Amino acid sequence: MKNENIEMVGQGVGFERIRRITGYLVGTLDRFNDAKRAEVNDRVKHGLDSGMERL
Amino acid sequence: MITQIVKRDGRTVPFELDKITEAIYKAAKALGGSDRRMAEDLAKQVVAYLEEKNLQTPTVEQIQDAVERTLIENGHARTAKEFILYRSGRTRVREMNTRLMKIYEDLTFRDAKDNDIKRENANIDGDTAMGTMLKYGSEGAKQFDEMFILKPVHSKAHADGDIHIHDLDFYTLTTTCCQIDLTKLFTDGFSTGHGFLREPNSIQSYSALACIAIQSNQNDQHGGQSVPSFDYDMAKGVAKSYRTLYRNNMIKALEFEGIEDADSLIRSTLEKVEAETGLWPALNADNGFHAKEAELLIPVIGEEAYKKAYDFSRKFTDKEIDRHTYQAMEALVHNLNTMHSRAGAQIPFSSLNYGTDTSPEGRMVTRNLLLATEAGLGNGETAIFPIHIFKVKEGVNYNPEDPNYDLFKLACKVSAERLFPNFSFLDAPYNLQYYKPGHPETEAAYMGCRTRVVANNFDPSRSVVTGRGNLSFTSINLPRLAIKSNHNVDFFFEQLEREVELVIDQLNERFKLQAGKKVRNYPFLMGQGIWIDSDKLSPDDTVGEVLKHGTLTVGFIGLAECLTALVGKHHGESAASQNLGLDIVGCMRKRLDEESRRTGLNYTLIATPAEGLSGRFVRLDKKKYGVIEGVTDKDYYTNSFHIPVRFPISAYEKIRLEAPYHALTNAGHISYIELDGDPVKNLDAFESVVRYMKECGIGYGSINHPVDRDPVCGYTGIIDDVCPRCGRREGEAVSVEKLKKLGVYKHLNASTLGCCGNADEEADRIPNTL
Ligand SMILES: [Zn+2]
Repeated sequence: MKNENIEMVGQGVGFERIRRITGYLVGTLDRFNDAKRAEVNDRVKHGLDSGMERL
Repeated sequence: MITQIVKRDGRTVPFELDKITEAIYKAAKALGGSDRRMAEDLAKQVVAYLEEKNLQTPTVEQIQDAVERTLIENGHARTAKEFILYRSGRTRVREMNTRLMKIYEDLTFRDAKDNDIKRENANIDGDTAMGTMLKYGSEGAKQFDEMFILKPVHSKAHADGDIHIHDLDFYTLTTTCCQIDLTKLFTDGFSTGHGFLREPNSIQSYSALACIAIQSNQNDQHGGQSVPSFDYDMAKGVAKSYRTLYRNNMIKALEFEGIEDADSLIRSTLEKVEAETGLWPALNADNGFHAKEAELLIPVIGEEAYKKAYDFSRKFTDKEIDRHTYQAMEALVHNLNTMHSRAGAQIPFSSLNYGTDTSPEGRMVTRNLLLATEAGLGNGETAIFPIHIFKVKEGVNYNPEDPNYDLFKLACKVSAERLFPNFSFLDAPYNLQYYKPGHPETEAAYMGCRTRVVANNFDPSRSVVTGRGNLSFTSINLPRLAIKSNHNVDFFFEQLEREVELVIDQLNERFKLQAGKKVRNYPFLMGQGIWIDSDKLSPDDTVGEVLKHGTLTVGFIGLAECLTALVGKHHGESAASQNLGLDIVGCMRKRLDEESRRTGLNYTLIATPAEGLSGRFVRLDKKKYGVIEGVTDKDYYTNSFHIPVRFPISAYEKIRLEAPYHALTNAGHISYIELDGDPVKNLDAFESVVRYMKECGIGYGSINHPVDRDPVCGYTGIIDDVCPRCGRREGEAVSVEKLKKLGVYKHLNASTLGCCGNADEEADRIPNTL
């Protein structure tokens, strides 16, 4: 279905995923060392449902 | 009769009794012994033992075993220990020579993606020429320090993974970090070593020089650079810019009115007012300047012309100053993300603390720095540097009636979009005790890596943040101590105390090396008077005395795994474990406080940031003790006192449990909360987390959430698999037509992707009510 004349961009371009690691932001996971990559992958989110009333 | 021995490389060489005698004598000599005859007798016993064992051609290893055995049997236990240390030292030297060359080989022939060492520090590009060169130097220096500089007992503890000496490659060279007083530095100008820079006269040059100062100081130290009161420091630049802009607008207005010599009239008037009253035209129009100005100008040009020129100048200057400040902050963020230090391989690690200056100029700095950060870099990318720390303080910016409350709100919004700023809390009791209103140098500040330096046991009257920093730090492997204690808590504490003792001794050894350096070794840090009291020294003076204002710091890693190994549960799982955790961290702090009192130096405790370390300890422990559930069963140990990242817990509970550790870790700490979803859509919840941190006594906190970006269409936010704006998947192409329709196509071609930051959809985002 694709028209060969349509100008396309972005082939091979990935998404940037900014994450914080020991205080510093890093643009991609590529530069993390193996241990830190494992740590980032393990992170679970912290819910906000309980404890609000304490405020 | 032994006539030959087998060397390590397999060669057979003639046996020499003297060599054994010499080795024993050396070990005894290290302990103060001088009895060569006894060494000879012992050597003969060694030979007798070997012959008895029928080892006619013994190996070097067998001979060394025999020496150890003979020494112990003859009651020379201490000499035996020294011999073992000597022997393991020699073994290490041999192994290291091989290891270093292997490391160099990997650095040379393997890409960063396959080489953990190249990725040890996430902000250095290990694949560049300069990045690799830095690594050659760093790895070589580490090995040299381990072999020849460290005391054998420290070297062994580090190599074995009982402790980790941070920045070992810089061991003999410099100190960690510094909090820079830009106001002091700028007064009367300064020199970078490559030329003299005059005292800046506009907010643009203030911000440009701030970057240069950070960059220059970074080259003299191995850690990060922090500006503890950025808004106060830059406020003066805004004031100077205002003065210039107002003057130029007045001249323009009067020239337009046809008044002759407007230029010299206005210049001389401003100079006269300043000379007589010290007043400038300022953002605060009621400061008294204009009354005096009117008094001088109205007799010359008439009331009507003055009023008209005044209104014109105020109106335009107020607008221009805001724009100039924004541009200055935009340039600063840009510079700090692109400028390089250390042979071009590393971007300076910069941290800016701000948020408490309530002057109109200081507020303008904070607001525009936040806005520039919110806008992102050239293509809307999230800026990686600087680390922003917004200082939260009751009466200043925490409550709706506070003068900077609007800036606190803005800080929350920007942090929800861009991950910065982090938040520090000046009302936490351990921070509040130093706080003196009107003295920004007494406001606790943090450096990116979480370092905190405020108290000053060396000179309590100088308990300030400016001009001071950490000298060095070394971390303790807590899980290892716990595993070794085999559930015996009392034994654990005994070992912990011994370990802290060892680290204190090592920090002292390092301090001696640091103290012997001269001012000329740190042309900027010391030569330009950045470090406290260094301006009183000459180039050839040693820096030992002034360095005593810095901190010598013990850190720790893996409290969670330590507790699990000791009592089966970590501090997120059991209240008893939490109490034990506080005892453990409290025990270390107590010992360091004692050491400070005893020596008059600043021994402090840090919750270690564990970038290169978190994998190393667990790797060694796994090898030594096998996989222990909840302890060595991951590829990393949990940071400092943090609740494990994969343990499910509410944000509020996590904050409540981690807060008490902030009070104990006086050299620095940080707590993280991981938020799900896009916090921009729920700013109230975001703010409530920040407020809860403050109420619980957290000192420094930060909220993590995913910030993704599609470089093709410029969308910033959360991207799961498909970009919510342009609909492409990672790696897929999208049609130019579609991008044009979305209004995000600007100058795209095959090589320049990414363009926009202001797509319709982003503009349409409605933040929750503020
Ligand atoms: Zn997109």
